[in-house]
Amino acid sequence: MSQFDSGRAIKWRGRFRDLRRIMLFMAMRLLALFATVVVGVYLTIVIANMGGKVDELRRVQIRMEAAEVVRADPAFFDMSSEERNELIDRQVQLEVDRLNLDQPFILRSFDYLNRAIRLDLGRAEQMHSDTGAREVSRIIVERLPATLLLFGTANLLVFFVSVFVALHLSRRYGSAMDRTMIALAPSSAAPAWFYGIFLILLFAFVAPILPAGGMVGVPPPESRWAYALDVLRHMILPVTAMFLSSIFISIYSWRTFFLIHSSEDYVEMARAKGLPSGMIERRYILRPALSPIITSFALMLIGLWSGAIILEQVFNWPGLGSLLFQAIGHRDTPVIIGSVVIFAYLLALTVFLLDILYAILDPRVRVGIKGGQS
Amino acid sequence: MKKILIALAALLVAAIAAALLTGESQEPGSANRGKPVDEDDLRDRRGALVDEIVFTQETDVGKVVGLIERGSHHLFAQGITNTTVFQRLRDSERIGYEEAYGSSSELTLNPVGPEFENGELNPFHVPAIREALNWLIDRRYVAQEIFGGMASPRVLPLNTAFPDYARLAAEARALELHYAHDPERAQKVISEEMRALGATLDNGRWHYQGEPVRLIVLIRTEDARKQVGDYIANLLEDTGFRVLRRYRTAQEASRIWIAGDPAAGRWHIYTGGWISTVINRDESENLSYYYTPRGRSEPLWQAYDPDPELDEISERLQRRDYATWQERQQLMTRGLELAMENSARVWLVDQINITPRAEDVELAADMAGGIAGSWLWPYTVRFRDRVGGRMVFAVPGLLTEPWNPVAGSNWMFDVMITRALDDSPLLPDPFTGLFWPQRIERAEVRVQEDVPVERTHDWLSVDTVEEIPVPPETWIDWDTGDERFVTVAEKHPEGITARTRTRVHYEADYLQHQWHDGTTFSLADVVLPWILTFTRADEDSELFDPSYLPTFEVFQRHFRGWRIVSRQPLVIDIYSDQIYPDAEAIVAARTPTAQPWHTLVPAILAERSGELAFSSNKADRLKANWLSMVAGPSLSVLERHLGSALEQQHVPYQAQLGELIEESEAVQRYNALTDWYRERGHFWVGSGPFYLHSVHAVEQAVVLRRFEDFPDPADKWLRFVQPKIPELNLDGPMMIAVDRNRPHTFQLDITYQGEPYDHEDLEAVNYLLFDGDGAPALRGRARPGDDGRWLIKLTPDQLAALGTGANSLEVAVTSHRVALPAFASHAFATIPGTTLTEETP
Repeated sequence: MSQFDSGRAIKWRGRFRDLRRIMLFMAMRLLALFATVVVGVYLTIVIANMGGKVDELRRVQIRMEAAEVVRADPAFFDMSSEERNELIDRQVQLEVDRLNLDQPFILRSFDYLNRAIRLDLGRAEQMHSDTGAREVSRIIVERLPATLLLFGTANLLVFFVSVFVALHLSRRYGSAMDRTMIALAPSSAAPAWFYGIFLILLFAFVAPILPAGGMVGVPPPESRWAYALDVLRHMILPVTAMFLSSIFISIYSWRTFFLIHSSEDYVEMARAKGLPSGMIERRYILRPALSPIITSFALMLIGLWSGAIILEQVFNWPGLGSLLFQAIGHRDTPVIIGSVVIFAYLLALTVFLLDILYAILDPRVRVGIKGGQS
Repeated sequence: MKKILIALAALLVAAIAAALLTGESQEPGSANRGKPVDEDDLRDRRGALVDEIVFTQETDVGKVVGLIERGSHHLFAQGITNTTVFQRLRDSERIGYEEAYGSSSELTLNPVGPEFENGELNPFHVPAIREALNWLIDRRYVAQEIFGGMASPRVLPLNTAFPDYARLAAEARALELHYAHDPERAQKVISEEMRALGATLDNGRWHYQGEPVRLIVLIRTEDARKQVGDYIANLLEDTGFRVLRRYRTAQEASRIWIAGDPAAGRWHIYTGGWISTVINRDESENLSYYYTPRGRSEPLWQAYDPDPELDEISERLQRRDYATWQERQQLMTRGLELAMENSARVWLVDQINITPRAEDVELAADMAGGIAGSWLWPYTVRFRDRVGGRMVFAVPGLLTEPWNPVAGSNWMFDVMITRALDDSPLLPDPFTGLFWPQRIERAEVRVQEDVPVERTHDWLSVDTVEEIPVPPETWIDWDTGDERFVTVAEKHPEGITARTRTRVHYEADYLQHQWHDGTTFSLADVVLPWILTFTRADEDSELFDPSYLPTFEVFQRHFRGWRIVSRQPLVIDIYSDQIYPDAEAIVAARTPTAQPWHTLVPAILAERSGELAFSSNKADRLKANWLSMVAGPSLSVLERHLGSALEQQHVPYQAQLGELIEESEAVQRYNALTDWYRERGHFWVGSGPFYLHSVHAVEQAVVLRRFEDFPDPADKWLRFVQPKIPELNLDGPMMIAVDRNRPHTFQLDITYQGEPYDHEDLEAVNYLLFDGDGAPALRGRARPGDDGRWLIKLTPDQLAALGTGANSLEVAVTSHRVALPAFASHAFATIPGTTLTEETP
């Protein structure tokens, strides 16, 4: 074997070893993430059912509802008590059968888990989609566009505005604008729904120029353009509320982050060399900070999935947050699990992809068999 | 980069500006409110008085009140009990409200004892202690302070706004006065009974076997019952008990008080509440339900041990085991007395649910169910003195469950909307609960001699016979195999009888009316729903639904047949063993309702194919979708089956309906429905004063528009907009010197909005005279005078019997026009001799 062939073989062996390491790392990472998802989802199942106590509550509720229906219906007035109680028992049993409440919770919990992990979201127990479907997937999918539209707009706006403003401020440390932003940062302690209430009060009641809630006017406009503009009008207040509640703290955080990078020696060197400030921002500050920015962006994107329960309630926005709120109220386990398992998978997938992305973005990041090596 | 950012910002600002500029004006009162009413317009106008109603979902009651004030919304269909919101809308000039009395609040007492399983004493095992709570509690305080005036005191197990209370007004008044707030009396009774139980009062605290007597009050936290619970707990602490307050939500509490064993001693008092969305005209069953083990099968009810007399009376009332109405009233009176002595429940208040609406909106609201529970709202809703215009109604839940006319959503707010789309043959009076004819001309009710039935209105007649044989050709069952009705002759060759026969005469042109899609009524529209009644309960049928079976079996137990007497005009006989005390209710329960058969056909075909199911339960069993005729995945399935029905010129249940449906009619109807679906995007076709214009499921909006071909004039039901509650003014001498030769007269003016109340509309004007000890001394009926004036004349002997002192004259007035009775009282003193006497005016 020639030296050249030997070198190629070593190179191939090295690549194969790297590939094997990467595959092993990915497999282990996937396994760990999958285990996390399983544990998270099962905990959700147990918590959503209060460890099985919900069954008892549900049985009581079913019986009370059946009894009230029979009591209130004049058609049953002349039945004897025994007949009436028998009727109630039969109605209760039908519902118990439908909800499979005769089966012990522990068995059902694993059934829930099994189906959830396979993304077989099944049918809701109490709820329906807005159009009347019982499949959990449809219930969620119907609400998804509204949530993505509202939270996507607001979060993207907050993200990009805060990153660019923070970058700008990082080079103007101590300026009036910088001090103003720092002063305003504590205003983000109040949640978006808090701002929402005030905005509704101001712009929907005191000076009624914007709608108080909903996704579209009533009745919804028939033309598409009018519909789109109407949705836009209805988005103004909730987006503003979300923007106000997070923009200042977000700017403050990114500004601090960029300031750390701005004071690195290589940035000072670039400045000393007289490079244009735009180039310094892009190449010397933004680029090394790209990994955390992308992480934050990715987590923000999957955060859209959950919506915001109270904000959607305040603005009567038909999104996933209010769906989850209803599901919890109804104790509709499949819908709760459906929301959570998709979020869990998205989160796991994002974390997994970020691991890979880090390695691509930052050559310093490398993997080894036993812990990370760099 | 900067340029891009500036461009994006400019684009955003432009979009917002466009959105703001193109949006509808949000100025208050800018909505379309129609035009001022013209008498001719009103007479010529058919159907609804407004042109369009938009339903939208809104859960925040505070916000809705603001929206109504702003003018963008006109009504919130849910009753509110929040006192802060109530005060706000009461102070607003732009908001009015309707009142409903269907909810009540009470204390449920644990009767187990005298000791629980844990050895602790339960004082409420003793009826006298339970009864004493009636004196201990100040119901007026509860109503005025805790409920902020949104409640009226209630003592008896009868709703104070329902007919039974009005019918027994005088007896009820006597009991209310007997159980009026008297804490000293309560304390005395409790002390005596506690000592009898072996308890001792040490340092102001009751002790039993050396331990303080502990009471657990289970307090509901969601509403004013939290304050009620605290109030009761405070009272009991002041009485010498150690009180533990357990604050729980409905679900948490239900596990303890209703599902748990009361003998376990986990609670003594529960702050209960009950609701009725319809005016219950017969509350005689309440005694059995609330005070005896027959009420329910749960452990608490099984712990009830009523007095044998109460037990017997309540059972007789429940079975309607009385020959005459008078006998029933006697049973009720005695039953109420015994129920108060038992006091397994201590009634506190009847809550007043407030339904906010714009000040200039008028409509008929139900006395129990409010606006959402009213059947007449679609026929009466309008802007005051105007016609036309558009209203926006907010409801807390919209399209909560799929809509279909067989076993679809029965959520209150969904039903509220569908009532506007359909036209029921009879409609309940929102103020009395009695039914009025809408699509029928008259009815004849024939009952067996032993059946006590009362008639109030003159649109129906009642006669009694010894026996009611069911004619052999009457339909009594359904043969799924042959797809035809089974007659009495086939099922009961020996013949059968029924306790009632209801003959319903529909309007002469009933079968010429139009459905919303332009098709004309036919007899098949009346018969097909009847076929579904039977075939859904038949295991051999593809439409069999196990969840429907229990209800059907109850129906079948009393159903004795159905017979078409005449097709033009349509007259139908219905035979049944089921009885209601009001003949009007019998007619309403028996009268068949029409459904457009061509809209049911695609639904039936879809259920047969297993793709959709009428009921939720069957849908879940089949893992199919619950059939919705207005939205969602059902629509494409229905559209497909409609297409195949049209293609095959399908006539449902050919053997039975073949003679009623011609092929050409089938094609015409299917085409009409196809066009309807293409235009409106749903399959809901009715005949009510509004049609369903559009459904926006995700946006949570439903649009109704006026049905211009509706047969009735728009003002047909307007007389039901205001409840004609009698307004009383009782006057008379303040001081009477008892003179053996001289009677004294008291005047009662009964008016409504300043005008004398028609004598014919009044059911009874009763008076009660109480002496200085508060004991009833006399009762009687007032005499009618002129111009709404009624006279109560007390003879010298009657006055003398009162003795000397302060007396009270109480008047209870009941009306045929409204279930709510009116009361007035007048205090006067009787003094001996003839020295001082105020002149009787």
